[in-house]
Amino acid sequence: MKRQFLLILILIVIHGAAMASNADSALVEHTSLARLPMLEAMRNPALHGMGYQTPYSQLAIGIDLQHQNQAFVPEKGSGYTLPYLKVNTFHPLNGRSTVWGEASYMTGKVHDIRWNSTSDYDLLQPYILADTLGGDTRRERYSVSGGYATSIKKWLLGAEMHVRAEQEYRSHDPRMRGIVTDLILRVGGGYDLGHYHLGAAVEGNIYKQTNSVAFYREEGVIPEYQMTGLGTEYSRFSGDKRSLYYDGGGVAVMLHASPISKSGPYADVTLDEHRYHRKLAEFNSMPLTDHYNEHVGATIGWKQEKNHRLAVFGHADYIRRTGNEHVGGTSDARYFPVIACLTMYKGHILDTYAGALYGRGNWNANITAGYREVSEEYVYPHRQMDASHVYGKLQGQCFIRPEDKWLLTVDAHASYYAKAGDKLNMPLANMDATFTRLIQHKHKYATANYTDFGAKVRADYAMNQSRYGLFAEAGGGMTLCSASEHQTALHCSIGITF
Amino acid sequence: MLFTACAPVEDDIFTTARITVTAEGDVSITSVQAQVKLTNVNTRQVTTVADFNGTSATVELLRGAYQIDIEGVATCLSPDNVTRMRQFRCQSDYVEFISHDINEVTLKTIFLD
Repeated sequence: MKRQFLLILILIVIHGAAMASNADSALVEHTSLARLPMLEAMRNPALHGMGYQTPYSQLAIGIDLQHQNQAFVPEKGSGYTLPYLKVNTFHPLNGRSTVWGEASYMTGKVHDIRWNSTSDYDLLQPYILADTLGGDTRRERYSVSGGYATSIKKWLLGAEMHVRAEQEYRSHDPRMRGIVTDLILRVGGGYDLGHYHLGAAVEGNIYKQTNSVAFYREEGVIPEYQMTGLGTEYSRFSGDKRSLYYDGGGVAVMLHASPISKSGPYADVTLDEHRYHRKLAEFNSMPLTDHYNEHVGATIGWKQEKNHRLAVFGHADYIRRTGNEHVGGTSDARYFPVIACLTMYKGHILDTYAGALYGRGNWNANITAGYREVSEEYVYPHRQMDASHVYGKLQGQCFIRPEDKWLLTVDAHASYYAKAGDKLNMPLANMDATFTRLIQHKHKYATANYTDFGAKVRADYAMNQSRYGLFAEAGGGMTLCSASEHQTALHCSIGITF
Repeated sequence: MLFTACAPVEDDIFTTARITVTAEGDVSITSVQAQVKLTNVNTRQVTTVADFNGTSATVELLRGAYQIDIEGVATCLSPDNVTRMRQFRCQSDYVEFISHDINEVTLKTIFLD
């Protein structure tokens, strides 16, 4: 009897250790820096479903903090405090099918936003509503996504959906409110050539935001500007026109070719186009501006996975940004006909880099060198602001096992952006002083040099006789700007893995 | 090619406006010396021109809707062939200059004397 008990105990310990080992190997597979060359291909749900061998789920509660002693981009604020709760899972159902999903809730505060009363600045800029006062805003975001992939003989099929609902508001004047719904549907296919996967995916996006600003104190009312780029505004509908909405979306096509596990060259091409229309809610949905983002991205590389993990790659992104302004005619019972549409805003972003990834045993390192150029132009009266940087980035990752039940993941990164060129052409003599200060501020930070470094440590504890594990993660970083300002960031989270 | 198909680009943003000054009744204007102030209704941008050829001034400006104010002096010929210099003003709250070709507009004078 005693011998049987000991035998069962030994079996349980071995089983627990094996499960812990499985959980650890799942964590390594799902978070390894060595996955970097495959990240673009993983956007295709058919390839994402076949991308990992092990199931992995995680429930995390955490907080992200950022502080800038002066806002680098005034429209995005000088920092944030954003606690969140997030659960994500990747689960192979059998040898052929996989499901994955993610749900998260985030709420918190963004500090000292100025010149922006619209949510999702990065998507919608420069066509935003803005005022000179600003202040802190509260953000609340619900996000859900899920996907399914399967294989039928040599064909891979997959689909996934992302839904984001977000609101941002301010509870003191100017009381901005932005309510966002964002839906992404992605369908992909792939073909298994034996040692290669060929993939193609299409993506559709529907985006809506209702945006308004209210003032409760009559004596404190200030104008809200319908910004049109580089410190210009649509004067006729600025001031007291504070209720509008954005209607947008886009499509994307992604093509991939990648070796399944061994060595070989790989390539990705992405083409996408997104458009966002700004309309005045209080004037019969009069269209004010249309913004178009067109993106071409391409990666070509070569990877090897033997005793060493090695990859070399080159990548280029080109985004063309076009902004059209609708010219309003004479009003008739609050209806403004559009009499012309003019392309007044033009810009582009070019980001190109070459890199190498090397890994051996329990560590990986990645080095990247690149060139980034951001150009903006307002056609008439002519305004132009260009900035370009050369940059280098270094990333490292190490998995350490101090004991059987513990796994430490250490990530560190450092990068340097050096100004390569800049151009500023503004009709300063005819500009309002407040707009001039905005442009000078943006130009100062757009053309600064940046040094960024940070590290993150994660400890995973595998519980005996259970498929559950515990983890805690803490990280921090600092960005030093040559304009004598800096940014600090902190991240902490705890949770369970299963 | 893909980009052209996606984003509608309208780079033809300028147009030419020809503003002609006329007088009501049997008075005819032979020449004008005046300043034309064109205010873009949407952008509030102001363009001025003072170069009259006879009774017309031509100006290149952004396509759009404009408010026009003219103030100056006109040489007027009365039916009895008497020439007089008269101060005048013209105004229009809303004129569309959106055609890609020349946009013609004729404004009637209000004499100030």
